[in-house]
Amino acid sequence: MAYLPADFDRLPPQAPEAAETLAPSPPLWQLLLQDMRACLAAGVVLLVLVMAFIGPWLWPQDPATQWLSQVSSGPSAARRVDVVSDEFWHGPRQNVSALTALQATTTQVKLAWPDRADAMSYRVYRNAGGVGLGMPLIETVKTHYADRLQLSEQRYRYSVVAVRADGSTSDPEWIEVKPELTLGTFEAQLLGLDVMDGKVSLPSHPLGTDALGRDMLSRILHGAQTSMLVGLSAPLLFITLGAFYGALAGLLGGWVDNVLMRIADFVVALPFLLFMILFRVALGIESGESGLFPMVMAMVLLSWPSAARLVRGQVLQLRESAFVMSARLAGAGNFYLIRRHLLPNVLPLLLVSLSFAIPQAIFTEALLSFIGMGVVPPTPSWGTLCNEGIRSMLTHPHELIIPALAISITVLSFNVLGDALRDAMDVKVRRSLR
Amino acid sequence: MRKCIVATVVICLLFPTFVLAGAVNAQEQRITLSLATEPPSLDTALATDQISSFLLAHLMEGLVQYGPAGELVPAMAERWEVREGGATFWLRKNAVWSDGKPVTAEHFVYAWRRALDPATASQYAFILFPIKNAEAVNRGELPVEKLGVEALGNYRLEVRFDKPCPYFAKLTAFMTFFPARQDVVERWGRAHAADADKMIFNGPFILTRWIHGARLTLTRNPRYWNADAIRLQEIDLPYITTDPGTHYNLYKDNRIALAPLDASTLSDALSKGYETHLFDFGTLYFLEMNFREDRPTRNLALRKAIQSVLNPSLLVYKVLGLPGVKPAYSLFPSSMRAGEGVVFSEHYPPPVVNYDIAQAQRYLAQAKRELGDIPPLTLLVGDSPRAVNEAEFYQYVLKQSLGLETRLDQQTFKQRISKMRRGEFDIAAAGWGPDFDDPITFGDLFASWNENNRGRFADDDYDAAVRQAQRSLDPAVRLKAFDRMQQIISEQVVIIPTYENVGLYVQHPQLMGVRRSIFGGDPNYRYAWVKP
Repeated sequence: MAYLPADFDRLPPQAPEAAETLAPSPPLWQLLLQDMRACLAAGVVLLVLVMAFIGPWLWPQDPATQWLSQVSSGPSAARRVDVVSDEFWHGPRQNVSALTALQATTTQVKLAWPDRADAMSYRVYRNAGGVGLGMPLIETVKTHYADRLQLSEQRYRYSVVAVRADGSTSDPEWIEVKPELTLGTFEAQLLGLDVMDGKVSLPSHPLGTDALGRDMLSRILHGAQTSMLVGLSAPLLFITLGAFYGALAGLLGGWVDNVLMRIADFVVALPFLLFMILFRVALGIESGESGLFPMVMAMVLLSWPSAARLVRGQVLQLRESAFVMSARLAGAGNFYLIRRHLLPNVLPLLLVSLSFAIPQAIFTEALLSFIGMGVVPPTPSWGTLCNEGIRSMLTHPHELIIPALAISITVLSFNVLGDALRDAMDVKVRRSLR
Repeated sequence: MRKCIVATVVICLLFPTFVLAGAVNAQEQRITLSLATEPPSLDTALATDQISSFLLAHLMEGLVQYGPAGELVPAMAERWEVREGGATFWLRKNAVWSDGKPVTAEHFVYAWRRALDPATASQYAFILFPIKNAEAVNRGELPVEKLGVEALGNYRLEVRFDKPCPYFAKLTAFMTFFPARQDVVERWGRAHAADADKMIFNGPFILTRWIHGARLTLTRNPRYWNADAIRLQEIDLPYITTDPGTHYNLYKDNRIALAPLDASTLSDALSKGYETHLFDFGTLYFLEMNFREDRPTRNLALRKAIQSVLNPSLLVYKVLGLPGVKPAYSLFPSSMRAGEGVVFSEHYPPPVVNYDIAQAQRYLAQAKRELGDIPPLTLLVGDSPRAVNEAEFYQYVLKQSLGLETRLDQQTFKQRISKMRRGEFDIAAAGWGPDFDDPITFGDLFASWNENNRGRFADDDYDAAVRQAQRSLDPAVRLKAFDRMQQIISEQVVIIPTYENVGLYVQHPQLMGVRRSIFGGDPNYRYAWVKP
């Protein structure tokens, strides 16, 4: 076969497929931006982080202040209320002709009723919207009673029943009362509020208050701080530790690798809760002192092996790959190899595991604070908020639902973000291998 | 096949109603109730807890018992006489044990000697200490025969005292004073009163079934001396559970006739329109101060500062929010009686504390001059939701008004008691229920020799007042002594009384005549009946 001169001509420009395989894969963040749920999750995560760190500054209410006249209340606006005497009431000056409410405030509802000849004593009941007489308040021989029991601004029906000598009871006499929100003098003094014209200003509570009258919004924001502090610091620390450990094992290989990985296997087998309690004891932390430090310590010291394994596997694979070999042949040093080839290929992997470790750490903190191993009162954390909410779950569900939602949404966002990151990584890996 | 499934489902649905009777049965006069725990022992010498006390009050009877208004009424003793140096009880001749043998004075002598015998190791032995030589017998220094109690014939019991004990008759209503039969106790030995067939009864009911951990059944005792007054034929206790929610659910399902309520079940009971009842337990809750050497609470000015800001009414009405709970201002609960018909607080009202933050800050400044910087105070509290809420309230008030830091040490009941005993606290939340109907049951709590004085408060004036109240037979002198005690407690801030607890419960509308009593076993169904 003979060659024609034409055979030695340039080929026309072509092969777009080949050009595409050589093009660098798009950066991770671009892939992420194409993903709707990733954007949403990232937005929520950013919002939570921002709120955790500047939120308490934007909403400067003290999360420990107890507005005792507004316990377990729903959302309320700022307002000015009267300060009234909270002294013991000795009864009305003159007799009344029917059941009367002489004062109707949330500090005291002063009731008086006429005496009945056949009555041995009187039972006073209070009904707040249920059926029947409602809650028994007192059995008294007097003809007056001041109700002070956790009054809120709602309609109450008070019933007074006379008890006769033979134990039988009269038909109830009743009255409807809607007390006005006021503060007792001692409570106003305790809160350190300025009394002007007999009135004080109460702040608003956009998410209501808890069972001790503490502002829920402020507690959620301060709780976020605790949760984020643990949720970010522990994973950052243990993943960094694990990455170095794994990289060392992977790079050195041989018997060193073997020994290091057996140690990692050993650490995996250690029970987390037990060690956290051991650290508490070892550090001399008593009940009543914050257990956050031993918690983070136990997380860091016991959770690194998974990151170490991940990195070691990746490093082993990369070490044998063609481009690392060729770089080595071209005379690249260890430092250059790590910086140019290993780190960029391991980093996204770490990012993914970090985004899964964070929600897990938030959850662990919430769980441990829930069972009383974490922060101590009055410092809030989402876990302790849930614990407090459970006490009044049946009567005031918002005290449990709000912190539970905060935990769920945050953990979900981190998880979705992690998922999206992993998917984006997959695309990137697939493209670069094609 | 489908039929088979349907049948199974129907049987499953119907089955419980066949096996478990309803809460009350008017025809057969039987009621069904529940228990919080199984009684650890029904041996009168060893029983300490409320469940045993409740059961024994129905199964056994002491020399005297409490009547409907809390007065003493005859039981095994027809009449009695308490003197300066001793007491005499004349026993009724128609009282018999459930096997038909008569109840004699010898049975009381045996029971009391046995309770004090160190070999029995009764935790309630101290309640017999007013009897002559009782302490020495209990320490093993004297033989049990030296105890100052003697049977003069079958129906007369003579008791001699170490020192005058004006409230001795009230004590004998307590379960440790119930009679025992030597032949029965010795026949079963360690197993005595551990099963229904290993014990004997002299009360209105007999225990006919005791399936451990599952069920107890009490049946009317036809041989009881006052059997005609007992209308209930059977009290069945087929549910044993500690969870308060379960008791309430059983009540809702019409399975039991009476159930206690707590804050969460109360609101449900109210929304269902059940009639709820209150019962004053006469229990006092308080904050106890630690007087040991190394504790900052040893400083009076600091204690005064704390006292001036912890306003019990704020705690009771705003934080606890349970109907019937009363703010406490004295060592003695407001319903405490000192003698027949004499309510102590009506004669000597509680000392007045001025709740004033400015004054508290002056006290605090003085405390700081005397102590230097005040370290964070350890507040030892329980672990129930209510206890934690309470503790967070104290912590907030001390921080907000005085800038004092507190550490909350939340512990289970057992742990809390043992930490209190070792003195590992600055302030401890504690409670005390009366053992018998006399203010001394609270008063001697802070005597320097009392083991239950956990804060180690010691004051000669106080001790003198306690001794006076224990020995004097003159009611006026005793009242004065009690008043002295409550004044010292308040002036020295030995404790800060916080609240008097009550029990809330729901009761089947057909069940009548149930007595709630602070003393002598509660609730009491002796005179209960089911209205048709």
